[in-house]
Amino acid sequence: MGANAQTSVPLYVAAEVLTAADMNISAGTGVPVFATTITRDAAFGGAGEKVLAEGQLAYIEASNIVQYYDGAAWATVGPTTSGGFVVTKAETAFTSASTVEIDNAFSATYTNYKVFIRYQNTTNADIFLRMRVGGVSASGANYNAQLGGANSTTALAYRETGQTSGYVAAGSTGAFWSSAEITIFSPFVAEPTVMITTNNRSSGAYTAPVINVFATNHTVSTSYDGIQILLAGGTITGTYTVYGMGKTV
Amino acid sequence: MSDYITNDNGDNRPMTPAETAEYTASLPALKAQNAARAAAEADKAAAKAALLTKLGITADEAALLLG
Repeated sequence: MGANAQTSVPLYVAAEVLTAADMNISAGTGVPVFATTITRDAAFGGAGEKVLAEGQLAYIEASNIVQYYDGAAWATVGPTTSGGFVVTKAETAFTSASTVEIDNAFSATYTNYKVFIRYQNTTNADIFLRMRVGGVSASGANYNAQLGGANSTTALAYRETGQTSGYVAAGSTGAFWSSAEITIFSPFVAEPTVMITTNNRSSGAYTAPVINVFATNHTVSTSYDGIQILLAGGTITGTYTVYGMGKTV
Repeated sequence: MSDYITNDNGDNRPMTPAETAEYTASLPALKAQNAARAAAEADKAAAKAALLTKLGITADEAALLLG
């Protein structure tokens, strides 16, 4: 039996004398709240402190989780994190827009993200991305992109560097649905952000699909929580959804 | 009211004066990026067409040669 194991769940009656041991049952059996796992570990086993033993629960503010101690290590009770794609920004429609702001999409909960955009735009204007934090877009000349693609039998390779926005997709040249699947790696980590986009561009007709793949990066070591989509001209209509990619099975 | 629409996290609305200023200031660079990419694509297509003419073969025949 562990040091914190109880043999009864007592109730008290009127005029009963409560000892320190009685009171400690109440004081020590609730779920204590700690700022971090460091303050959690420091709170047990010292003079006048409860012995850490099997069955102990704790809530950690930094990660918003409930944990239990199994006698050897702490394990997380919940909330559980899905191993698959989890929506971090619900499907959102945009209409005749020149820019699209997607904020509060990235956090420490997930490392990598997918942004699915289904779109059509009024012109052949290219589509660009800026990283964003706190509602402010990063517009310094810190974006680089490599395009590899094919239009009918013509292959295309193109690179641009030191730009104020990152190239991620090409225009549909009219009301022809196109798609961009952007995988963004570690945007919330304060390191350079890399991403790769697979773009199915309907080039003015559904009989003219063009495949583009973009390797894009942003070299500033900042933690970002969102992105901005910008057009070189015209407007864009469509929907986007952002997914966090689970880190555990 | 701004001529430009922004979609602010699902809210489709006219840009504020500050947003309009930021976007219009960005447009020359965006257009330049767009033009550079389009020019590269056009140059590539033109060079390919010129070579096919020089060789006297079609694009499909060239693809067969490379396939």
